[in-house]
Amino acid sequence: MSAHATPSLRAARRRAGRAPVAIVIVGLILTVILALALLAPWIAPSDPTRQVLMMRLKPPGTLAASGQIYLLGTDDLGRDLLSRILFGARVSLLVATLSVLVSTLVGVTLGMMAAWFRGWIEAIIMRLVDIMLSIPAVLLAVLTVAVLGPGFFKLILVLGLTRWPRYTRVAFGQTLQIAALPYVKAAELVGAGTARILLRHILPNIAGPLLIIATAEFGLMILFEAGLSFLGLGIQPPAPSWGSIMSVGREYVERAWWIVAFPGGCLFLLVLSVNVLGDWLRDRLDPQTRIR
Amino acid sequence: MLRYVAHRLLQAIIAVFGVLTIVFIVMRFSGDPTLLLVPEGASQEAIDALRTELGFDRPVMVQYIDYLRSLSHFDFGVSVVQRIPAFDIVAARIPYTVLLAAGAIVIAVGVGIPVGIAMAVRRGRWLERSLAAVVLTGQSMPSFLSGILLILVFGVILGWLPTSGAGDLKALVLPSIALGALSMSTFARMARISIVDELGKDYVRAGRARGLSLAGVVRRHILRNAAIPIVTIAALEIGNLLAGAVIVETVFAWPGIGQLAIQSIQSRDFLVVQVIVLLISFVYVVTSLLADVAYALIDPRIRLAR
Amino acid sequence: MRRLTFVAAILACLITPAAAQTAKQMLTIDAPNDAATLDPHLQWDADSYGVYRNIFDNLLTRDATGKIVPQIATAWRFVDDTHVEFDIRPDVKFQDGTPLAAEDVVFSIKRITNPAFKSPQLSQFDQIADAQALGSAKVHLTMKTPYPVLLAQLVKLSIVPKAYVERVGDQEFNLKPLGSGPYKLREWQKGVQVTLDANASYWRGKPPFGTVIFRAVPDVSTRVADLKTGRADLIRLLPPDEAIALRSDARLAVLTVPTERVGYLFINAQAGPTTDVRVRRAIAHAIDKQALVEALLQGFGKPVNSIGAEPIFGYVPAIAGYDYDPAKARALIKDAGAEGATITFLTSPAYDRRVVEAIQQMINDVRLKAEIVVLDQATFLRRRQGMPADAGGLALGVWSCACQDADGTIFPLFRSGSTWSKYSNPTYDAAVDAARSTLDEAKRLAEYRKAYEILREDVPGLGLYQAFASYGARKELKWQPTPNESLFVMDMSWQ
Repeated sequence: MSAHATPSLRAARRRAGRAPVAIVIVGLILTVILALALLAPWIAPSDPTRQVLMMRLKPPGTLAASGQIYLLGTDDLGRDLLSRILFGARVSLLVATLSVLVSTLVGVTLGMMAAWFRGWIEAIIMRLVDIMLSIPAVLLAVLTVAVLGPGFFKLILVLGLTRWPRYTRVAFGQTLQIAALPYVKAAELVGAGTARILLRHILPNIAGPLLIIATAEFGLMILFEAGLSFLGLGIQPPAPSWGSIMSVGREYVERAWWIVAFPGGCLFLLVLSVNVLGDWLRDRLDPQTRIR
Repeated sequence: MLRYVAHRLLQAIIAVFGVLTIVFIVMRFSGDPTLLLVPEGASQEAIDALRTELGFDRPVMVQYIDYLRSLSHFDFGVSVVQRIPAFDIVAARIPYTVLLAAGAIVIAVGVGIPVGIAMAVRRGRWLERSLAAVVLTGQSMPSFLSGILLILVFGVILGWLPTSGAGDLKALVLPSIALGALSMSTFARMARISIVDELGKDYVRAGRARGLSLAGVVRRHILRNAAIPIVTIAALEIGNLLAGAVIVETVFAWPGIGQLAIQSIQSRDFLVVQVIVLLISFVYVVTSLLADVAYALIDPRIRLAR
Repeated sequence: MRRLTFVAAILACLITPAAAQTAKQMLTIDAPNDAATLDPHLQWDADSYGVYRNIFDNLLTRDATGKIVPQIATAWRFVDDTHVEFDIRPDVKFQDGTPLAAEDVVFSIKRITNPAFKSPQLSQFDQIADAQALGSAKVHLTMKTPYPVLLAQLVKLSIVPKAYVERVGDQEFNLKPLGSGPYKLREWQKGVQVTLDANASYWRGKPPFGTVIFRAVPDVSTRVADLKTGRADLIRLLPPDEAIALRSDARLAVLTVPTERVGYLFINAQAGPTTDVRVRRAIAHAIDKQALVEALLQGFGKPVNSIGAEPIFGYVPAIAGYDYDPAKARALIKDAGAEGATITFLTSPAYDRRVVEAIQQMINDVRLKAEIVVLDQATFLRRRQGMPADAGGLALGVWSCACQDADGTIFPLFRSGSTWSKYSNPTYDAAVDAARSTLDEAKRLAEYRKAYEILREDVPGLGLYQAFASYGARKELKWQPTPNESLFVMDMSWQ
């Protein structure tokens, strides 16, 4: 970086907003969560599905006769909560990541195409968006499960299916705006290919709001999975996910608060970190600071 | 302009039709309510007889054509579970959901947007960070959890508000918070981002150089330009609200159509589900049509680019 | 126009603040769902009959011990095996003042057995070939074949007013029911609540409360919160853990009763690894019923050795069950060469998830591999009552015929040809067929003994526990719940 930083670069650095310290902390949180999830089979103190009916609903720190200590307590079937949270992290992270990936890819591509090509392509895609958005997500989830049966990949399918239209609508609106800008018209006139224009000029400019949505969606997918578990349609038992643990724990929120508090706390940290990171990335990627 | 609207209306009708057909066919493939209606010990003959009486043994296409025919007389059918017209069942519950959605939007917009503006204008200070934390709690707690916590704290422990039901406006407070909290976060973050975007633009500096206060610039120029993404999000959030309403309505015993939808799907009360789907898709396409018109009005470039 | 009035009425209700509750005269009951229909000849689920059984009287009823006693019918005589005569009470009036006569009874029977009426309850009364009124106080029933469960089924038959129903039509009758029972309908806010007012001229005496409100509150935690804040006086469907917690609240009480509901494990004898009877017996040895009842049901249940319970006629408690012996189970599995075999365990949100998961672990501990598949109730029923290959290897069930008779329990569960049965044994079929074609109680008991012994040998299903029904209530409410889970407000009072 040149010692004579131009006013715009200084402005850019100022506009980057948050002090980097917060980003480091947040990055650390995310790395720890990811690491714990990956290492779960090795660091979990017990089998997350091993029930001990006599040790139901024990508070954190309980010492069993066998010498095992339940650091975070046990759930309503006497299973070690810490182990379930560790293994549940894998399921929740995987569900959230895959479904956000699926819906972003599908949604943004369709939105950009609709806004760029207009005409009948736009008509079909936006009608599809209307149809998908009109069917309540819960209905779609229940129907999918009723017809196809439950399962992990079907869950991803349902979550991805219900969310892609949101990206499309925003991508569509934003692309329309950007496409109308003079320099994009200029690129077209010069003969740049469609893909090149879409990827190099439009996508970075619309990335801001999309990133906001994607990071919000990430936490949302975990919450949705929790909601589906609440309705009895989520991850099949006895496999743990943060959503199903919380859905069970809500019945015991007065007597066994730890069943909800610990996965809830983890979820809060995860969503917080993803959102803060997303906001910061968005600020950094703001093309208005780069162009000048 | 008028041609644009008419064109969009036609597309909206096609969309509604598409939804209805898809839902109709998919539901027929998921079974029928006969087994849920008969007592446990009913014989195969009794089950088959009831199924025939209710008309579910006919081919799906025949049932579909029959349904379309009655739709053309605005006859939405009689529920096989409750034995009264499906339309009446849904109509009785709509006001509750409308009220709940309104309450949630008041919370989401009334709290979310000012918070977002505050976060944008006071960037980097501690106010932004604490607001961000508050906003984030709304986004990271499932509504079935926030629901029961609100009931426990404000209903059982403090006794300020009713624990369930839809009796009066007091009963609306807790469900609206539970439902609106999630959207509030999205509105706050979107408002913050849009305003931050605009703050960086030349015209803002020009305005301030001319002597306008920051508040004045925000009010006069920024809000208008930031409106587009906010309007899009608002249209989308209505869909989110309807989805989230199912759980909030169940937890708070709020008798809206969200709760009715899930109960009707589980009891395979097809006719009620179809009325609800028609209603929701109709509301959906109308709001998205209004959003598109709003776009075209706010940003002439979109209108003219056609 | 009617629709606008609906909407206006609801908006009005929302704006007017809730009326102050005169505590003693009003009883509020929280149930998981609103009544689906108030026409007693239509829907038959607990949420519906819990309400309409207070609006209507039935031909017969059960007393606190479970014995069948008169209600609208004061006496009955079996003329022969297929003809019964009932005497009808002369002093009963419907809530609009018109007297209840034999023709109303006959009308009720014909209405519910009319296929065009499409009553879901038809199969419970379809053994009745004909009904005739002999004068205004006698009814003569003709059965198709000797039907020993007739009286138990008539406990569920509500008497509706012929003149009123014919005048207003079926749909209107469903919305504005009129019966002869202790409470009449004041208002029905569909999906929200039903409000009933006391029928001052009720023939059995003055009803205990001036007003009864049944509120629909789907979520159990919310029902408990309502009870704690006094918004509800009585709540239905209280799970065991909640019940234990309620006991520590001095203002509240838990009312509980052993019911005729039996928790059982269905084991598919016609498909999958469970076709081998050794595997089925192994599964029987693998389940620790005592642990299930103590740890999960918290004592709100009683282990049983077969699919039956004390209130059920035909149940033979003397027949030994399978004791909890995982070692023996493992040996049997090894013998059958079924180690590691995958068994699908079907369930739905209607059944206690913890019991399902606990049983899964018990089965996995004897070296089988049980995989839980959670379906919604409609799909669950469709698979369970469909082809054997689709019905899963195991399923949890909690069965009640509301007739307190083995004919309604083990007949539909295991007789070949029934939709629930994935088991076929001609000797068994002969026994249960014989038991249902005679009115002689001693003969029936002997046949059921045979049937239960066959079930013990072949294990197409395993009795787990007799379910208890638990209700949460204010301490001041005096009420003994009944084994057939009827919810008669007439039997409740403040103490």
